[in-house]
Amino acid sequence: MNNAEKTNAVLLVLAAVFVVLALKFATGYGATAPKLVRIPLVETQFLDTATFRKSYAELIRTKADLSDFDCYTCHTKGTPPTLRFDAQQNLIIPKEHEDIVMHHGSHGRNNNCFNCHNELNLELLQTRDGHEVKLAESPRLCGSCHGPTYRDWEAGAHGRTGGYWDRAAGPIKRQICVDCHDPHHPKIPPRTPAPGPHLLHPAANSEARVLKAEGSPKPEARSRPSGDAQENQVPLGAAKWSLSGPAAPELRLSAFGLPSDFRFRISGFTFRPPAC
Amino acid sequence: MPPPQPNPSPANAPAPAGISRRSFLRNSALFASGLAALAASLEPLRHLNEFPTVDQFLQKYYKELTPEEMAKVLKRIEDEVEHDYGLRPHVRDLKPMNGVEYVYALNLTRCIGCRKCVHACVGENNQSRNPEVQYIRVVRLPHGSLDLEKAEHNYNPEQVPEAGYFYMPVQCQQCRNPPCVKVCPVHATWQEKDGITVIDYNWCIGCRYCAAACPFWARHFNWTKPSIPKERLNPNMAYLGNRPRKQGVMEKCHFCIQRTRAGRYPACVEVCPVGARKFGNILDPESEVSYILRTKRVFIQLKEELGTSPRFYYYFDV
Repeated sequence: MNNAEKTNAVLLVLAAVFVVLALKFATGYGATAPKLVRIPLVETQFLDTATFRKSYAELIRTKADLSDFDCYTCHTKGTPPTLRFDAQQNLIIPKEHEDIVMHHGSHGRNNNCFNCHNELNLELLQTRDGHEVKLAESPRLCGSCHGPTYRDWEAGAHGRTGGYWDRAAGPIKRQICVDCHDPHHPKIPPRTPAPGPHLLHPAANSEARVLKAEGSPKPEARSRPSGDAQENQVPLGAAKWSLSGPAAPELRLSAFGLPSDFRFRISGFTFRPPAC
Repeated sequence: MPPPQPNPSPANAPAPAGISRRSFLRNSALFASGLAALAASLEPLRHLNEFPTVDQFLQKYYKELTPEEMAKVLKRIEDEVEHDYGLRPHVRDLKPMNGVEYVYALNLTRCIGCRKCVHACVGENNQSRNPEVQYIRVVRLPHGSLDLEKAEHNYNPEQVPEAGYFYMPVQCQQCRNPPCVKVCPVHATWQEKDGITVIDYNWCIGCRYCAAACPFWARHFNWTKPSIPKERLNPNMAYLGNRPRKQGVMEKCHFCIQRTRAGRYPACVEVCPVGARKFGNILDPESEVSYILRTKRVFIQLKEELGTSPRFYYYFDV
């Protein structure tokens, strides 16, 4: 073969390769399109900006039904209602008020209705030093014991804020204590969290499920995945890159000459603080 | 095969055209396969159905746009969004106010890790739902340490807060000395005088240097065109804020520029059910953030040893 023929042969082989590649790309043969994990839209309850509960002041503002606050349909005016206590000095809550859970303070001693309610006029509240406070102005009563919190609240540092930060542009929206706290049980109850980020990494997803089934794990077990459940899902020296579920290809790091104990931390939050 | 000759074609080709059947077939086969190869290499263009329009392509840098040009650009963006998402938005170009510097304060004692801020932010700022882009990352940390190596981002209990943990939401810290701005090769991101680091999405080239430079993982890249259902699209938009991004550009928290520069609180502040998030003007001594920085145990700017000096302060009260 002379040089010209060699050149032609090489060109023909190259041309054949290009034709095959062109056919492959055009038909998409052998290609796996990355599939996106189906992510449902977040439920609208998590977008709600409403407060945990509605205070008396809020009920007045929204012109809601106030019959619950009509004490004297049952009680007699001028006669303080009697309180009953059991042997451990716990308040017995009468059936008419069974929706009330008394737990104001973890010590359990703040269980006298008339610490806050005025026994001679049930439609009023009273501070411990005898000042009468209207139901709709309850923060003053709360502040009579919770001074530092009250001070923070007045400065805007405690409690929710909304509306306008720029007073020139519009009003700020503030809530009062009982918009969020139940006065009889002020600790804010735990709630369901909104869904976390949906992972593209199925091993981490299943790990999260495993850990959830086991209950509350030790923090170390989650953040340092060595010798625990995740070990079985991600083989040492292998990182799973996947967009499409369990059938995803596996990339073996040893093929790139990396040591077999090399590990990726793909999921999670891996800030690395500077060496101390 | 004829023996090799120094100059074969004149001797072997008596025809005046100077081309043999063999060489014609060979050359046309080569030509055809070359065309096929070219077609194959251009094949991905078939999937590119959104070429930039001339106006988009020739749009000037944000800081060079005159008010009239800006008005035209805003009108064009409204048209584009209406075409893409089927809802006519109101896009504004809000400028920073005088005498205002925004600061964020987050009360770690109060945060219960409910992630409502994450989703309020996604809704307000028209972030992609699938794949997910989220500006706020809530991490769970065990009590008694601030070791971010122990931070868990994917916690998923039945109920929050869990005993023994506290929660720390992390988002763009709006640094006074932002590393992301330094690395941008095209000046598509910069710090405004009210302290918000913004991005001109039409100027960003998507090189992701800023994502690499940010120590807070605050910058996010649009790998695909954002998918936002029409019923969840927020029509109150700003040019530097929450207008839908294109594929291939960066985005990040901008303190809800479309709200805050109109005097309102950011969406995450408004939705926080426990009032852990505080926002305001640090130059106003009456603002709640001024009060907090004055009186509370403001204990960190996250990673303050890096010297980026965030405008985002974490504090405890108790």
